[in-house]
Amino acid sequence: MSHIRQLQLTLAILKPDIVAQPRVLKSVWTRMLENGLYFVLSKQVQLSAVQAEQFYAEHRGKFFQDRLVYFMSSGPVWCHILCGDNVIGRWRRMLGPTKVLKTVFDDPDSIRGSYGLTDTRNCAHGSDADDTARREVGFFFPEFNFEEWYEKQHHLFQNDLVDFDPDKMQHTAILDTTS
Amino acid sequence: MIKLRHLATLAIDACKQCGSVHASRPAVTVLSQSRSFFTGTCLTNWKKKHAKREAKKAEVHKYVGDNADRTTIVYAWGAADSGALGIPSYLRPNLKNLQRQFLITMINRPARVRFYDKQKMKALKVACGHGFTITSVKFQNKKFLLGCGINTDSQIGFHEAPKGSGRIMDQLIEPGRIRLPLQRPDHCSVVSMACGRAHSVVVVEDEGVFTLGNNAFGQCGRSIVEGEDYSKNPTINRVRELPDDVIKVVCGQDHTLFLTESGQVYSCGLGADGQTGSGHYKPVGHPVLVAGDIQGETIVSIGARADCSLAVSDKGDVFGWGNSEYGQLGLVTDLTQVNMAAHLPTSRCGRVVKAVAGGSLCALLNDAGQVFVWGFGILGKGPKLESTAEPSLIPEPIFGRNELNPDTRVVDIDCGLTYVAAINDQGDLYTWGKNSRGCLGLGEEKNQFFPWRVALPAQTVEFSCGSDHMAAICKSYT
Repeated sequence: MSHIRQLQLTLAILKPDIVAQPRVLKSVWTRMLENGLYFVLSKQVQLSAVQAEQFYAEHRGKFFQDRLVYFMSSGPVWCHILCGDNVIGRWRRMLGPTKVLKTVFDDPDSIRGSYGLTDTRNCAHGSDADDTARREVGFFFPEFNFEEWYEKQHHLFQNDLVDFDPDKMQHTAILDTTS
Repeated sequence: MIKLRHLATLAIDACKQCGSVHASRPAVTVLSQSRSFFTGTCLTNWKKKHAKREAKKAEVHKYVGDNADRTTIVYAWGAADSGALGIPSYLRPNLKNLQRQFLITMINRPARVRFYDKQKMKALKVACGHGFTITSVKFQNKKFLLGCGINTDSQIGFHEAPKGSGRIMDQLIEPGRIRLPLQRPDHCSVVSMACGRAHSVVVVEDEGVFTLGNNAFGQCGRSIVEGEDYSKNPTINRVRELPDDVIKVVCGQDHTLFLTESGQVYSCGLGADGQTGSGHYKPVGHPVLVAGDIQGETIVSIGARADCSLAVSDKGDVFGWGNSEYGQLGLVTDLTQVNMAAHLPTSRCGRVVKAVAGGSLCALLNDAGQVFVWGFGILGKGPKLESTAEPSLIPEPIFGRNELNPDTRVVDIDCGLTYVAAINDQGDLYTWGKNSRGCLGLGEEKNQFFPWRVALPAQTVEFSCGSDHMAAICKSYT
């Protein structure tokens, strides 16, 4: 390929309903890897209600804000910074529409269609645009610097010089010993 | 064995080439040549087989009379990878038996749970949650509680194996005993039990209501502790704020409803959709009386599986509260959330005896044994998705009523998140709806658009619908 586009970054959150089910969690991770998503950083966190409310501040006043906040703070969640070509759209397409009880009929092969329970307990979250991704990554990974990553790490991911480390749940650079 | 066969065919070919038809002879010589090589294993196999045959000869067959006890059999089907079916060989295949070395992650037909037969236990009640099952059993003259499946929120108790090792199980693939803090631990006679997404509730006769598992929303009936770790948590709570006469308990995904003998409904847990019916949208950490039109009525039946709750009074009136995004409460309101019980005008449905609510669909049963459905999804009325707020009748002939059996009627219904199940008075189990991971048990993975009988070789007595698996307690026909 002569011209390779710059990779996108997004935030994925796996919600408490699938983190509580080890086999489902594993199969979701497998799906993500099979679809060629790169894990830049990963961590498991337990949100408090206040933190969850801050995270969903954009939904304040909507009827589903309460249940999102309560649900997100009900157990541990996994947060991943994903990277890849057009990853925001791809990750959201893998997830399927938010309304799980409709998605199970409309898009049964998506992650929400196969593992989602109800509209609230809908498996995972994905940022919807570049600027929200930046804001949400900043919320969970304040130490992560976008500019620095694009400068130092971007080319490694772009040229697939990374390897998946299942212990850390993230891709790390392959140390090139030959050159 | 493959080598042997190969040699034999070679020998037969050679004979055909020479033109003679004595194919058996060279084959025998080949066998006899290689027998010395296989002698050891052949002999032990022969001994084993002989012993097996002798044992079979010694068995005495008794023909059962009319008054013989009917065997209780437990069947389970649906997603198996959580261990909720209680069949360990699906997840840990017996490697000595080389027939099957792969895992079974789902099974779309009823599978007999042999555990209860082997242990000579009689299953009395069963309840399925999201990836786990609890069963109350009778063993000799003891009664106790068993649980299997996912245990990441300690919803089926604290299991340490081996004892004192600190190795705490977060998944059980075979039923294990749940030890409730009872006065008489061997006499755990369960009145009612139910499982939610990550909690389970058991009502024990003369002892009270016990809750296990996740309490992030107060669904266990105790006050919410911010940041509590529920995995490997030995806490079992006895709910003290309830009256002594609780006769039925029902769990939504993250809330719990209690019904007392005097006809009052208490609730606790997540209230973000108003499913606790307490007049607000906040989680409730202790049981409170459901408010609204329900007050002053004597409730006889309650139903909830997800975020919508329904109750039926002794007069046959239906009350509903909670989520109504898919028109579950569309008869009385256009709102998506209702936080107080509202009376649903279901006079067209006759005198209602039971009403159940799933994720997006609801079903009710009247005293004539008719089933009405409403909401969104596969309602069981034909090959398309429907969305209706008006309860509509599923024709009775589908549930086995015909010229030969004119009195056949449905006696019990229950609801999963996106599917419904019903049994008629002959003990036939019917399921319909979204077939998530084979949970309908129809031998297929396709969705079922109208009620279809599950091929159970026994009479269904009790059943429970989990989110992606089902379990049924059956009695053999003879």
